[in-house]
Amino acid sequence: MATTTMSHQAIGSIVSHNRPFKASLFQKEPLNVPMKLSPKRFKIEAAASSQVIDNTVLSSPSKNKPFESKKKSNEAALILIRHGESLWNEKNLFTGCVDVPLTQKGVGEAIEAGKKISNIPVDLIFTSSLIRAQMTAMLAMTQHRRKKVPIILHNESVKAKTWSHVFSEETRKQSIPVIAAWQLNERMYGELQGLNKKETAERYGTEQVHEWRRSYEIPPPKGESLEMCAERAVAYFEDNIKPELASGNNVMIAAHGNSLRSIIMYLDDLTSQEVTTLDLSTGIPLLYIFKDGKFMKRGSPVGPTEAGVYAYTKRLAQYREKLDEASLN
Amino acid sequence: MATATSHQSIVSFASHRSSSSSSSTISQCLLREPLLNLPISKGFKIHSSLSCNNHTTSKKRNLCKIKAVASSQTETSVSSYNNNTFLSPSKNIPDLSKKKSNEAALILIRHGESLWNEKNLFTGCVDVPLTEKGVEEAIEAGKRISNIPVDVIFTSSLIRAQMTAMLAMIQHRRKKVPIILHDESEQAKTWSQVFSDETKNQSIPVIPAWQLNERMYGELQGLNKQETAERYGKEQVHEWRRSYDIPPPKGESLEMCAERAVAYFQDNIEPKLAAGKNVMIAAHGNSLRSIIMYLDKLTCQEVISLELSTGIPLLYIFKEGKFMKRGSPVGPTEAGVYAYTKSLAQYRQKLEEDSEVICS
Repeated sequence: MATTTMSHQAIGSIVSHNRPFKASLFQKEPLNVPMKLSPKRFKIEAAASSQVIDNTVLSSPSKNKPFESKKKSNEAALILIRHGESLWNEKNLFTGCVDVPLTQKGVGEAIEAGKKISNIPVDLIFTSSLIRAQMTAMLAMTQHRRKKVPIILHNESVKAKTWSHVFSEETRKQSIPVIAAWQLNERMYGELQGLNKKETAERYGTEQVHEWRRSYEIPPPKGESLEMCAERAVAYFEDNIKPELASGNNVMIAAHGNSLRSIIMYLDDLTSQEVTTLDLSTGIPLLYIFKDGKFMKRGSPVGPTEAGVYAYTKRLAQYREKLDEASLN
Repeated sequence: MATATSHQSIVSFASHRSSSSSSSTISQCLLREPLLNLPISKGFKIHSSLSCNNHTTSKKRNLCKIKAVASSQTETSVSSYNNNTFLSPSKNIPDLSKKKSNEAALILIRHGESLWNEKNLFTGCVDVPLTEKGVEEAIEAGKRISNIPVDVIFTSSLIRAQMTAMLAMIQHRRKKVPIILHDESEQAKTWSQVFSDETKNQSIPVIPAWQLNERMYGELQGLNKQETAERYGKEQVHEWRRSYDIPPPKGESLEMCAERAVAYFQDNIEPKLAAGKNVMIAAHGNSLRSIIMYLDKLTCQEVISLELSTGIPLLYIFKEGKFMKRGSPVGPTEAGVYAYTKSLAQYRQKLEEDSEVICS
């Protein structure tokens, strides 16, 4: 298969159809059930049973049933956001897993990304353990129209779990769990971390550096190859994120260039050649719809006024409408 | 004696552009260094022709001091960042050879509005992020301290404090980059290693510590004020919120919070200051006022009524084992706060010179 430069820069826009959507309760019913017309007053159903913020459940979601009782829908939205400029990007240093924060520009990119996804439902957020991804997620969510509050789960110790416990059922319902996972970290760059491009070329030679950066399976000294990064990122995705999508939970992942393209490689069935040429734009969210076990790429939402992306599925359209109604009241 | 010690007052000094005689009132009140007989103007430079006429020897010292300050900051960061022993600083001898300065700046910043503040819910140690307003408060705080040197940053383990620190530092004029240290596991340590000395020199270590977390509010966490009053009764809730030593169920009293926060400060932060490192702490209402109680030697009564403004940085100078409260820097154009100590003034000047060099 030819090496195609698959750039996800393309913004998929769909002409909005001014078809009026019928009002209905935002109940997560399977889509093959005819939607009933109902009065505008809606309730968010007994999602309470899912005990969303019960740390003991969430801390190892793969070992527990995902919040199945919550949702009957057989489709879910998956948003991928790559964080924006960090202080070492600005200085042209290899960052890898060094925990460097965002620049002003990176902050702006996160907020812009948030505006683009402000109407797409988010039930669960996964980030890496690095501040630039976490800040990107939190800043993006300040733009979100939902009323729910992201809460970062802590399970690094028993004390951390106990101390972060929420004691109100209602508050838990209004929360979006945020799970920080090192498996979603940027590719670990080993001995190149902290070096600038020049220093590195001097130390190792331009050819060698180019090979490390662009090959699939050759790691820099004491570092990870893209293959190794993909292994732990995709494994994490399969074990922890996919089950959530399968039970109808809408997920956002805020992470890094290499961990995200590893996941995209999995979602889009790319070859290792294709993934090495894949370049993910920073701050531009990518939307996938997970349905019937399949991932359908849906491009980049362009913003809250663009009805197009919400026309992808009836459910998304209904969600959008519900948000509109909520803000009118 | 219960005094409502509010740190809301912003200490501002009129900048004296006139002769040194008018600035002498400030110097008399606060300043001990002869250098500060200089008129305080925006782009002030330390000229030998200025009024240090009684202290000619100090001129040479001044110049040496600038260099020492500059190099010490780099050296300090290297040694501290190289060793993972940085993480248990109390076990090491502070590197006195680094800095000849016997004083250090301590900046305290309380994070701004969080999403649960907005909803009027008891937050405690639940890890809730900032609102848009909270983000702005952090940025504003950063502008105010943009010229005060920072060598090491301590935060809590909660995102709202960490984001406040990172957003504030975006405004900072220094060129150094804050880097959050990870030691939650061997892998975390190894994976976050930096392999260039020069880069390490240009880094400001950021240390998250749960001991600086907000007071843990136990069974009240997540409840709204109304729910809580219904569940426990108004009187009881008021008592938990306002007493010093009565904890809410399964939670911490202010006393318990103060115990772990101040212990952490004494063990980990004070040695840094003693070694001449400038420190910023970005944390929470209760952990910070616990520390202020220690710095200002407040009584329990006084600390209960102490209200720390959000997003308004508080500056202390640590010198010769003592903490001197220096109010709230009002911004980069306000020369006042840099008149507090010679080393701050020199630091400011160095920043000015650096930016001129870059422009030319």
